[in-house]
Amino acid sequence: MKRLFRSVRWRLLLWYALILLGLITGLCLLAFRLTANDRTSQIDREIRNFQGTFFRSLFASQPLPNKDDPPSVDEIRQRLRNPGDASSFPPELHALFEGGSGGTYLACWDSDGSELFISANAPADLTPPRQTGDGSTGYVEIGHRREQHRINPSGMSSIIGRDIAAEQAELRNFGLLLALGGAAVWLAGLGGGWWLAGRALKPIDTIGRTASRIAAGNLDERIELARTDNELDQLGGVLNDTFDRLAAAIERQKRFTADASHELHTPVTIILSETQRALKREREPEQYREILANCRTAAERMRALVESLLVLARQDLPSPGTEPVACDLAEIAGGVADLLQPLANEHSIAIHRELSPAPLHGDPHSLAMIVQNLLSNALVHPPSGSQVFLKTTTTADSVLLEVRDSGPGIAAEHLPRLFDRFYRADSARGQANGHTGLGLAIAKTIVGNHGGKIEVHGADGTTFRVTLPKG
Amino acid sequence: MRLLVIEDDPLLRHSLTEGLREELYAVDSAADGDEGLVKALATDYDGIVLDGMLPGIDGWELLRRLRLEKATPVLMLTARDAVTDRIRGLDAGADDYLTKPFDFEELLARLRALIRRSSGRGSSLLEIDGIEIDTAARSVRRDGEIILLTPREYGLVEYLALHRGSVVSRTELYEHLFDETENTLSNLLDVHVSNVRKKLGPAFISTRRGHGYSIE
Repeated sequence: MKRLFRSVRWRLLLWYALILLGLITGLCLLAFRLTANDRTSQIDREIRNFQGTFFRSLFASQPLPNKDDPPSVDEIRQRLRNPGDASSFPPELHALFEGGSGGTYLACWDSDGSELFISANAPADLTPPRQTGDGSTGYVEIGHRREQHRINPSGMSSIIGRDIAAEQAELRNFGLLLALGGAAVWLAGLGGGWWLAGRALKPIDTIGRTASRIAAGNLDERIELARTDNELDQLGGVLNDTFDRLAAAIERQKRFTADASHELHTPVTIILSETQRALKREREPEQYREILANCRTAAERMRALVESLLVLARQDLPSPGTEPVACDLAEIAGGVADLLQPLANEHSIAIHRELSPAPLHGDPHSLAMIVQNLLSNALVHPPSGSQVFLKTTTTADSVLLEVRDSGPGIAAEHLPRLFDRFYRADSARGQANGHTGLGLAIAKTIVGNHGGKIEVHGADGTTFRVTLPKG
Repeated sequence: MRLLVIEDDPLLRHSLTEGLREELYAVDSAADGDEGLVKALATDYDGIVLDGMLPGIDGWELLRRLRLEKATPVLMLTARDAVTDRIRGLDAGADDYLTKPFDFEELLARLRALIRRSSGRGSSLLEIDGIEIDTAARSVRRDGEIILLTPREYGLVEYLALHRGSVVSRTELYEHLFDETENTLSNLLDVHVSNVRKKLGPAFISTRRGHGYSIE
């Protein structure tokens, strides 16, 4: 039961039921009230009409001498005492003289309480009215009877009433019908509400089921949108976008893991095959030395790869300990260029420095890694004797680092994927010189973490341009 | 037996070439797909060790083009342990595959099996007139007794035994016993043949003058 009330559908239905119940009850009560009032006033009107008919008939059988004057109190008293024969009254009044019960009855008393006229069909327990509301005429309901109680200024009083059991029963029936109808409408409303709530919640159910299928590993599935652009469709759209991004991230991660393991496979294979070869037979020390050197090269390659992977992992999830500090990109670039001078000499490449101060906030160690990756690329890839230009400048709101070489450049087809992890423009796995295929990916990640961007132009030599926010 | 190793990584290429040479194969090597294809088409190798990821044309494409002309047994090396890569390789015409990193001994065993199968034999033991050749142990016995042969002599016997009944030309023998790095003297083959005859009996290898040699 508790679970039921946690369900949105059930709770919607519960509230809906309560509100609907309130509304239907209110409406039914109003209808009942109005009908009851209508009935009562109709009965009262009948009683008044009856009174008029009776008094007109009372005087019609023996007309007054002076027709135009209203009858005096005495005359009325006298007429009431001797109403005359029943036949002189219209047929609808005959019941007054015939006894029994039913129909409208009438009773009049004098001011001293003595009876003037009591109709034959009047109930036995009639007594002169004492007090009739605030005026001289009032209507009361006693049991099954409704009566008009009236006291004239002269002191004469009268009761005209009739049995209303039939009307009361009718009203009860009407009330019962109203209650039954209301209940039926309520139940029908509940059914409709249940259906509507289900219909409104169905997309959520679909979304939920799709999401759990996606979570279970089916990354290609997406929530089906009805293209009505309602709130649920918008939610579905947002979720689909999220799934797209997640799937892309997982795909990237998968490819990265596959690539990383692929890159590790080769050096491991080398070490395995070299050591197995070495152990197969006795050898000259020179041969052992060569095999060990090969193993070492393979191991160094693995070390470079593992280090690069670690750097990338750290850049992907920056640790909270590395607060940016104020530093000068020109100084950093100069330091790296000094470090790489031996490599430049080895490849007979001259480094031209155009370093003007470029202050910024960042992590000097990471920034140095950018310069090192870009510069060592520029020193290794172009043919010997090329020129490399290392430049730092500032603009109004950013600092620029530019590494340009006079080599053959990079074909346009490689440019879009150049910063991908493990992508190599020359296809050859030139790992012999410690290149892991991660240098540019690392540079791009670091630049991204510093809120900058990195661009490459491959025509007319290769130019890498890093733009970082000024500090 | 002459093999071709097509592998772009210089260290791994070196290691495989040297390792196979020590196992008495004649081994050529190629550093990329284009060079590998040229060599594979030019020479009738007994087997090719082919890396899948190559600069130039990749391993799968190389295999497809090679299969248009030759049925040389090919063992593919795949770095990714992905089923699709292996299926691609086998469908393109590879006879077997190995996933990196692999065990060198396994590579040797698979190569032996590959060569054996391509010569139409199921067992690693060959028996000819009471002489037993064990291609796995690379040894020759007569009446249960090991007869010592030099690697080159063994290679000669094995090649002729695998092509038993057919005449093998001198050129073919040169092609399968010596690799591209060796500059052999033309009469070296005759020296080996005469040495084998001394050890296994003069009738073991017969000479078809003007055609070549054969083991009946």
